[in-house]
Parts: sequence; structure tokens; C-alpha cells
Amino acid sequence: MIYTERHMIDRNLTQNIDWILIGLLILNSAFGVVFIYSASHYLPGDYYLRQILWIVLSSIALFLLLSIDYRTLVTYSFYLYIVIIGILVGILFFGMFLGGARSWIKLPFFYVQPSEITKIIIILLLTAIFLKFRDEYLTWRKGLISGTLVALPVFLVGLQPDLGTALSYVPIYLASLILAGLNRKAIVYMLIFTIILGVVGWNFVLKDYQKKRLTTLIFPGKDPLGSGYHIIQSKIAVGSGGFLGKGYKKGTQSQLRFLPARHTDFVFSVIGEEFGFIGVVLAMFFYFIFLVRLFQSIGYSSDREGVYIIFLVSMMIAFQFLINVMMIIGLFPIAGVPLPLLSYGGSSLLTNYIGVSLVLNVKMRRFVNV
Amino acid sequence: MFILVEILFVFLIFYFWKLQVLDHKEYWEKSEANRMREITLPHQRGLIKDRNGNILANNKASFKVSIIRENCEDYEKSCRKISRLLKVEEDILKERIKKYEFLPLFKPIVIKENLSLEEVAVIEARKIEFPELILQSEPKRFYPYGNLAAHVIGYLQELSPEEIKTGIHSNRRLGDLVGKTGVEKQYEDRLVGADGQLIEIVDSLGRSKGEVTRSESTKGPDLYLTLDIDLQKKAEELLEGRDGSIIVMDAQTGGILALASFPNFDPNKFISRFTPDEWLDLVNSPQFPLMNRAIRGLYSPGSVFKLTVALGALDLGIVTDETTFMCKGTIEFYGEPWACWIENGHGRVNLYDGIRNSCNIYIYNLGKEMGIEELSRYAKMLGFGTKTGIDLPGEKSGLVPDPQWKIKTRNEPWHPGETISVSIGQSFLLVTPIQIAAHTALIANRGKKVTPHFLMSQSELKNKDEAQLGFSGEDSLMIDPSTFEKVIQGMWEVVNNKGTGWAARVYGYDVCGKTGSTQTLSSEKEEGKQKEEEEEEEEVKTHSWFTGFAPRDNPQVVVTVLVEYGGMGGATAAPLARKILDLYRKTYDR
Repeated sequence: MIYTERHMIDRNLTQNIDWILIGLLILNSAFGVVFIYSASHYLPGDYYLRQILWIVLSSIALFLLLSIDYRTLVTYSFYLYIVIIGILVGILFFGMFLGGARSWIKLPFFYVQPSEITKIIIILLLTAIFLKFRDEYLTWRKGLISGTLVALPVFLVGLQPDLGTALSYVPIYLASLILAGLNRKAIVYMLIFTIILGVVGWNFVLKDYQKKRLTTLIFPGKDPLGSGYHIIQSKIAVGSGGFLGKGYKKGTQSQLRFLPARHTDFVFSVIGEEFGFIGVVLAMFFYFIFLVRLFQSIGYSSDREGVYIIFLVSMMIAFQFLINVMMIIGLFPIAGVPLPLLSYGGSSLLTNYIGVSLVLNVKMRRFVNV
Repeated sequence: MFILVEILFVFLIFYFWKLQVLDHKEYWEKSEANRMREITLPHQRGLIKDRNGNILANNKASFKVSIIRENCEDYEKSCRKISRLLKVEEDILKERIKKYEFLPLFKPIVIKENLSLEEVAVIEARKIEFPELILQSEPKRFYPYGNLAAHVIGYLQELSPEEIKTGIHSNRRLGDLVGKTGVEKQYEDRLVGADGQLIEIVDSLGRSKGEVTRSESTKGPDLYLTLDIDLQKKAEELLEGRDGSIIVMDAQTGGILALASFPNFDPNKFISRFTPDEWLDLVNSPQFPLMNRAIRGLYSPGSVFKLTVALGALDLGIVTDETTFMCKGTIEFYGEPWACWIENGHGRVNLYDGIRNSCNIYIYNLGKEMGIEELSRYAKMLGFGTKTGIDLPGEKSGLVPDPQWKIKTRNEPWHPGETISVSIGQSFLLVTPIQIAAHTALIANRGKKVTPHFLMSQSELKNKDEAQLGFSGEDSLMIDPSTFEKVIQGMWEVVNNKGTGWAARVYGYDVCGKTGSTQTLSSEKEEGKQKEEEEEEEEVKTHSWFTGFAPRDNPQVVVTVLVEYGGMGGATAAPLARKILDLYRKTYDR
């Protein structure tokens, strides 16, 4: 035992690392690089190289984080929460304004988006809260405390305003409630609350461009050069790809720049255009088995903390993926949600790698009672 | 919970199937339309040449810059930046764009043309900064002789939005220049070619990424006019500084060798999509430089009409060439004295003397005998009161009065004294110079009508001397040629036997003619003048006419001269006609 305390990672632990999950993670990220290249090779900035660099850095972070027991992270999650709230408040005053929102911190070589890593902290915090009340059923008290703690960053990020990221915290919260044993009555109350929130939000919180996004989701043809433009161009890209696609780097919608945010939020449209239905099905297949592997890790958790972490991380990635894909084909408002692993962007990539790292962390410590 | 994810995955796969397989065609077409841009390659208009191939209307390369509103990130900001780049005031710029607001956003709207090379370079260099601007070259009309024959050639102007909506020029596009007057308008359809088309691939900022198909434009066919640039130059030179008109016409064919109207204008100034100040100056000038006096100026024919009266009276048998009347300087009709233009009178006057000396008394008698109905009938038969059919837009038909006309328009009965006035070409009678020229040709041809025209017929092209065609005389009049012979004898004496038109005499060339002096203003001018003040009314001013042809037998050329306020016809118009005839003879009479 002295041995293990000196070396944070026990040999027993490393033996239990789920290399298949890591393989699927890297595989999906690599697909991303391929399409980021297609969508941006004619732009200055070498986005695909930067993405590769981010993958390397994120992988390092993934392995480093394995050395810390997830239980330790859960224990300190409230302090992490305080820190990140501080950052989110500070960012409203001192952050970088990029792409219509003040959500960036400028570091020497790159910009980071703290609202991304907030997702992980929320997962850890929710795990901590629901474990504290381990013996009880889900109560009003628990629901209120956890709800308030999640609502605060939703509110702060919404102020940036980055509605897409802010709302992506909500499915994490809902998933945690379900896991905690949300009953039917509570679901009804939640729905009522959501409706009230929606009405108030629409009238007092949402900015005009955000409302426009919602209306253009319903009527994309109404304003072809306004906010509906993005949905239309994206649907044209996907639809014109057909069964087999137009070929790599031959998508007219992306290569001729009709498609907006090609290497970030709309990278999946590029797949649809250049590799057609076949490409879409394959991309979704590889993503699906990645998600299944992630999800099935629940069975390898030795404690309830692990179950929470794995479930919430899986839901976080799955819902972001689904929302993004629905967004690019006009089934969801264009909320600025990137495609996890595939879209260009370091903060998002790092967040998802850390999420997967937590899952690995839980999985490899299943036999070890440290 | 994961079940939900699975369901959504399956649902999405189906949705992609619909989008990419079932609706593929629709989206494929949209993506093709997205990246293709159609560009019109403007055609070159046919050249206009004179009978010797001198180019009267040419084309030269010119650059224009247009805005595509769709590509503006911020319209207001764009306008501000473009205003600075092109040095066009922002208000003017916006006004130009506003004119074509109804067009779809992706259609270019011309905002500046005739760019200098420096401007082209500046726009080209800052292309990236201004994705909303497109630079295009187009052939531009150019009139190398400037003012020369401006009224004949006409000019081009941009098709107005109203004209587009009416659909008159259905095959033309917005921004196309079309003939607005003159031959350019008359033969618009003959001069235009076909625009070419270029389809190219563009990116979302409208930058070209290569051509897909290209069909070249075809140039419009050239147009040959019967004009002779040297005679035209001479005619305009002679008129310089005086308002009026000179027409030189082929007596046999009606082909017009020269048609001058002064003051004139430079048609090059009109070839602009934007109305320059000079244009307004021309339109508003009291001298009406834009009016083609030869076909739109309405004048009393004065003594020139005496030929018509003489023809009528001879044909009716009211007089013979032997019949004489006594001219004592005045004569009394209907209780009023009527004067000749010479106070002492011409003495005993027969037909030849009457024409030679332009004796009013002689003609009064003929007119009185004929009566207004017959006067009017012969005037109309000999071509007055109707358009000659010249191939220029806007010709006026003039006016031949008769009692019915007077009742109808003025609700007054015909006054017998008015018949006397009409017989010497005054009163309500109004003619255009081209009608006088056509009338003169009719007399020269002993009753054969010709239609004045500019378009060179095929036979005229092949053999310029061969008198044939297109417009020339189908119908001859029922008047006996010998009657014409008698009037022509009188016209010969006008020029060659100490008559009023002696100044038109060309030695060794049998010129026949008739002078005229008239005190009426042209009706179009009258309207303008009325506003001006009465000061002019005190002076009686006289328009000066001469019309004639040569040679007497086998007539080749007709010359008609009108000088507004020129004084007596014999003094002002006749010498001008002589100079024209001189030049004509040197060129054409071998």
C-alpha cells in the first residue's frame, strides 16, 4: 500500500483502463479532423492541425486526471463549483467578446471557454449532492438545492449570451433527477415549471436574435438571408449529398462557403454533403458504439458516485450530439451547440475528454479499494 | 434513459434517409442554383454608317460598376463606404439604387459607369473589401462626329423601369440602353444583336471559381444610311448660328443625303444611365435644340405654297399658262385691300411671271377662283396635312385647313378672306420642311411621289446610282405631266430668269426653285415664347424658305432650306441652297 501511495496509479489500476473506449474516443475525434480539414483547408489558420494539437493535449489531460481518484474530485466539487462561478461572473466583465458572446478568456496561445468545463463541474457537484442524501428518496429540498445550484451557471452563461451552452446544462440536471428517483408527480411539476420558465424567458430573457432563431426553426423559408439562412444552407448541403455524397472536399456547399460555421457547429453537414447518407450512417454508427460503450460502463462502477458520473457524462455527450445533429437538419433551433469530438474547438474537446476520463477513472477503480 | 437515445438515433437515421434519398433531387437543384451565376455578356450594337461607309455611330469599351445588395453586410455602411470609394454623394447613390428597388436582391444595379482607368484600378484593387460591387465592361455607343446629324442618328438612353414594366422591349434587360430618338430608335430592332451568356461557379461571396458554359454575344448588323457626311457637314455649317433646317434629298429615290436641324446637340452626352445637368439644359433651352425642325417644326409654307395653288388651278382648268391678271400692288376682295409684296405691283402677270416674281395678286385670283375646298383637296393630294412617312420617329403631319375643320376645332364658320390668306401659304396652313422637300420632289418627278428616307435599300447599296426602291414612288398623281412641266418652267425662271430665287443659280446647272417668306412662328415655338413676354411682338420677323431641285430634266437632287427669322427667302435661304447644290454637283454630277 505504501507503494501505491507513492505512485498514484497502481499497476492494478492501469491494467483496468478501458482501451477500447479510448480507441473509440480517438477514432471519433479523428473523423472530426478529417472533416475539419475538408471544411477549412482553404482558410488561413490550419484548423485541422490545431485540432490535432488539442486532441494530444486533451489526451494528456485525460491520462493525468486518471491519477486522481474520482471520489476525491466529488469531495472537492463544491470548491470547484465556487471557483467556476467566480470565473463565470468575472468573464461577464473581463471576457473576450467573440462570435456574438462574451464567453472567452484569452490565454497566451489560445482562447478558452470556461462555460464548457462548467459541465464537468456540474456533473461532479450533482453527484456530490445526491450522494449526501444517499438514504432518502428525492425530496423537494434536494430538488431545490440542486436546481438552484445548476440554475446559477445557466443564468450566468445565458447572460454572455451563450444560450446553447447554458441550456446544455439542463439535460445533465434532468438526468441526475431521474437517477435520483424522480417520481411522476415531480415530472408534472417540472413540466409546469418549464412552461412558466418558457413564457417568462421568451418575454423577458431571450434576445431578439435568439427569438428569431426559434421562429426560423419553425419557418426556415420565411427569411432566407436572415437567421433561417443557416438552416436552409445546411439542409441543402445534407440533402444535396444524396446517397453516396459528392466526394471528399467536393461539397459545393462547404467548399464554396455557402454553409455557415462549416468546421465548428455544422461539421456534420459537411459529412452529409461529401459522403452522403452512407457517410451519415457510418458516422452515427461509430458514435453510437462509442456512446454504448460509455453507457455500459455503468455496470463496472463499484459505487453510487461512479454510477452518477458515468450516467451524467454519457447523457452530456449523447444529448449534445443529438441536439447538434437535429440542429443542422432543422429539427432544433440553431443554438450554437458544437458536435462533441467532431467539431473544431479546444474547450469543448477538452471537456469531453475529461468527461471520458472520469468514466475511465470510475471503471478502472472498480476492484481497488483505495 | 439510454432507450431514449437509441430511439432518437433510429429516428434521425430515418430523417436523413428522407432528406438525402427521398428529397435529394430538390436539394441537389438548390445546391446547383446556389453556386451557379448567370452573367449577361452584352452584345455590340450595329454600327450606323453613311452611304460611303463613314461611321456615324460606333462602339467603344467602357466600364461600369454595379452593386449586388444581397452581398452587403450592412447596407447603410456599404453605401457610406462605396460613396467614398466612387466619389459619388451618398444621397445620389441611394437614389440610384432606390430606382431599381423592385429588383431581386441578387440582381446587380449599375451605380456608376464610364469609369476612368484609375477608378477601375481602385475598384479592382479593393475587391476583397467590397464583395457587393461588381465591375463589368460593356460596349458603349460613341458618335465620332459629335453634333453632326445628331437629329437623324438620335441617341440611346437606359431603358426606364416604367418601360420594363410595360414590356415593350421584352427581350431587353434592365440597364440596357435603347434608342430614344432618330434612326437609333427607328431601327432599334435591326441594330440590336443577341446578348451572350456566361454561367460560372461562385462562392457565397460571389467570387468566381471558374466557368461552366459560355455563349458569346453576337453583334447587331450594321445600318447604312443614305446620308452623305460631306453634304451633311456643309448643311450644318451653313446653318451654324441660325435656327432652321436644310434637307438634301435624292429626287428619284427619296433617300436623304443631308438633314440638318439647328441648333443641334451632342448625342454622346445622352449615353448615360444618369441624367447629367447638360441634358436638362438642352431639354429646357428656349431654342429647343432637341427638336428636329425638319420633321417636327411647323411653319407656314408662305409663297412656296403658290406652286401647289398653280398646279391646282391649271389642273382644274381655271387658268392656262396664257391667262393673265393685273397686279397693281393691291387688290380688293370682300371689301378689304390685299397687298402684293411689291408696292407698285408687277403689272400684267401670267403663270410664269406669277411664279417667277412670286406675285401675290396672281395667286390670290387663282385661290379665290378655286375656293377653299379645292385648295384643301389639292394641298392634301400633293402631300400636305399628312406625314411623309420618313423613317424617323415623331414626324408631325402639319395642317391643311378647310371649313369643316374650322367648325370642328374653333366652332367658327370659314371666312372667305381666309381662302385668300391660305392661297399664299398663310393663315392656318402649317407644314414641315420635310413635307416641302417631298412636295418639291413630287413636282420634280412630274407627279411621282417619293417617300423621304434614310435607310439604304439593298439596290441603293449595290449600285449607288441606280435609282430604285424601298421607299420610292409607287403612286403617281392623276395630274397631267404637262401641267407639272408648266410649273417647273416657272420654277426655272425663279432661279434663272431674274426671279426671286436668283441667288440659288448655279451656272451650267438647271436649278428650279421657289422662295418663300412667312411671318408665322412655328407652333411649338409659339407655346414657349408666349411665356416669355410680348417684346418680340413689335418686330415682324420673317421665316425664310427656299425649295428647289436640279437639274430641270432628269432631276437628281432636291434641296429645301428653312431659316427661322431669316428675312426674305430670296435673300437668305436661296444662297444657302446654291452652296449645297454647288457641292452636290461637284460630288455627284459628272
